Amino acid sequence: MHNGSSDLTALIQPGRVHRRVYIDPEIFELEMERIFGRAWLFAGHTSQVPKPGDYITIELARQPVIMIRHSDNSIKLLFNRCSHRGARVAPLRSASAPRLVCCYHGWTYDSDGTLLNVPVPEGCAATFDKRQFGLSPLPRMGIYRGFVFTSLGQTGISFEDHIGPMKSSIDDLVDRAPDGELALDAGRHRYVFEGNWKLQVENVLDSYHVPFSHASTVNDKGVQFARREGDKAGAAVVDADKNRTAAPWKQRRSYVSGNGHGWTSNTLLDDGKRSSPAFDEYRRVLAQKIGAERARQILTPRLHNSLIYPNMSIMGLNIHVRVINPVAVDRTEVTIFPVRLVGAPAAMNFGNIRLLNVTHSAASFVQTDDLESFVRVQSGLRSQGGDWVDISRGLGEEEPDRELNATRELATHEMVVRAQYRAWLDYMRGTA
Amino acid sequence: MDAGEAERFLFYEARLLDERRFREWMGLFAENGTYWVPAVPGQESPFDQASLFYDDRELMQTRIARLEHPRIHIQTPPSRTAHLIGNITLEDSVTLDEYAVASTVIMVEYRNEKQRIFAGRQHHRLRREGEGLKIVQKRVDLINCDAAFEAMAVPI
Ligand code: FES
Ligand SMILES: [Fe+2]
Repeated sequence: MHNGSSDLTALIQPGRVHRRVYIDPEIFELEMERIFGRAWLFAGHTSQVPKPGDYITIELARQPVIMIRHSDNSIKLLFNRCSHRGARVAPLRSASAPRLVCCYHGWTYDSDGTLLNVPVPEGCAATFDKRQFGLSPLPRMGIYRGFVFTSLGQTGISFEDHIGPMKSSIDDLVDRAPDGELALDAGRHRYVFEGNWKLQVENVLDSYHVPFSHASTVNDKGVQFARREGDKAGAAVVDADKNRTAAPWKQRRSYVSGNGHGWTSNTLLDDGKRSSPAFDEYRRVLAQKIGAERARQILTPRLHNSLIYPNMSIMGLNIHVRVINPVAVDRTEVTIFPVRLVGAPAAMNFGNIRLLNVTHSAASFVQTDDLESFVRVQSGLRSQGGDWVDISRGLGEEEPDRELNATRELATHEMVVRAQYRAWLDYMRGTA
Repeated sequence: MDAGEAERFLFYEARLLDERRFREWMGLFAENGTYWVPAVPGQESPFDQASLFYDDRELMQTRIARLEHPRIHIQTPPSRTAHLIGNITLEDSVTLDEYAVASTVIMVEYRNEKQRIFAGRQHHRLRREGEGLKIVQKRVDLINCDAAFEAMAVPI
C-alpha cells in the first residue's frame, strides 16, 4: 500500500518526482479520495443554467453531479443519484426540468433536491420519512463572479482562502466583458487522451515546451500564427535562426501563490497595432461602458494562463475556461469552454470562437501536439529506463514578488510544477 | 449538374484527402469557401458556438502549412485514411448559382497502432467556376460530433 505518508513523501523530492505518481493505479485512487475528494473543484458557471429548472450534469472525482438552478434562483449542486435505489436522476448533459423524475420508479424531486412525490405512497414503510430522502447536496459550494466551485469534503481550507489569490485571474477575464459578466453558452470543445491528468495540469503553465511542441505552428521567421482577433501575427517564440527559443519568450515569468495555483505572464504581442473592425468596435463599446482609461487597463494583457489547482485553468490569450477531469490513471478528459463577453459585439465574440477552434478543439493546431506529448510521456514512463521525472529547471532561483504576494521565476523554468507537487503532497498527506 | 458529376467530384475530393494531397484539396475551395465540422448536433451557426473545424481560407492555409511541416508531432507517424462516400443526393440549393449535394461519409483512420471510425452526413455547396466546381462550403455532421475526441489532425 502507498497510503503511508512517508511512502508518499519519498515520491516527491527536490527537483524530481517518482514516475509512480503518473502510472500507479493505487496512487490514482488515493488522488481521487484525497485531492479530488477534498479540494475545491470548479463545477461550472452560473450562466450554464440561466433559468430556474435548468441543469447540467458533470463528473467530479468520478461521481455524477447535477448543477441546477432552483426556483428561488439559487444554484444547487446535488449528487446525481436517486435516493431510492440509486439511478442517476438527471439523464442529459444539459436540459431544463422544473422537477427531476427518476426513470426507474418515478420518485420526483424538486430542483433543490427535496423529494416531492413517491408513486404508490401507501406502500411506504411506516418508518419512511420523505424528508430524509432528498437528493444529497454536495458538502460545500462557493461562487465567485459566476464561477461555481465545490468541495466534496465536509472540512478543509475555506473557499475564500483557496480562491483568494486567484480572484485577480478571474477578474482579468470577466472585466473584459463590457457588461462585467461572462456567459459559458458558446458550446464546448472536448478532448480525451491516454495519459495522467497531471500531464495536462502541468502543461498549462509550461512555457518551456512551446518552441518545440508547437514548432509546426511557427513560420520561418519564428512567429506563431495570429491567435487573437485583430492581431496580424502571433508571438515570436523561436529566433530567426530557428534553433533557439526567442529572447522575449525566455523573459516571460511564471508565478505561484500556494495551494498549487499559478499563472504565467502575458505573451508579448504587438498590442499597439491590434486592430480589426470587430476588435475596434469592441474596444469602443468597452470604453463607452467603463471609461477609456479603465478600458485601456483591461485591454493591456497581463496574463497568459492561470491554473486554479487542481482542475481548471483560464486563458487570457485565446480566452477560455478549461476543466480537467481525471477518468483513470492513464485517461483524462478535458472540456474547453469559449467564454462569451456579455455586452461585446457579436463579431468580437465570433472572433474569439473562431480562433479558439484552431487553438483548442480536438482538431486544433496547438492542442493536438500537446496531446501527442502527453500520450508519449505516459507510455515512456512505463519503461524501467528511469524512475524519476525531472522538474528541476530553475531550482533555487525562485524569488518573492511582494507586490503580487507571490513567488516568481522565469516561465521556461519548472517552479510551477514543483509548487503543484507541494500542494499534491499536502493533499495526499492530509495536511492541506 | 447531374448526379454523376456530383459523385465524380466527391470521389475525387475523397481521394485527395486519402492521398494526403492537402494543398490540392484546399484548391477545391472557392476563395470565400469554408470547411465546417460542427461540435453540436444540428448546429445552426459557426458564429456563436464552438466547432471542431471552422476554417475559412486563411485558417485553412495555416492548417495545410502545418500538415506539411516536418515537426507536426501529431502526424509523426502520419494518419492513413480511407473515405467512403455514399447515399449521394442532389438537394435544392438556396441560391441559383450554387448546387447543394448531400452524402454520407465514413472515414476510417489508422495511426500509431490504433484504428478509429468517423461517420456522418456531409453537405457540399458547390459553385461552377470556369471549367470545374468549387466548394463554397463543406459541412460534415459527425454522428458523435459532441463526443470527447482523441486528437484529430487530418480533415474528414
Ligand atoms: S431508483 Fe429512482 S425511483 Fe427507484
Ligand atoms: Fe502547448
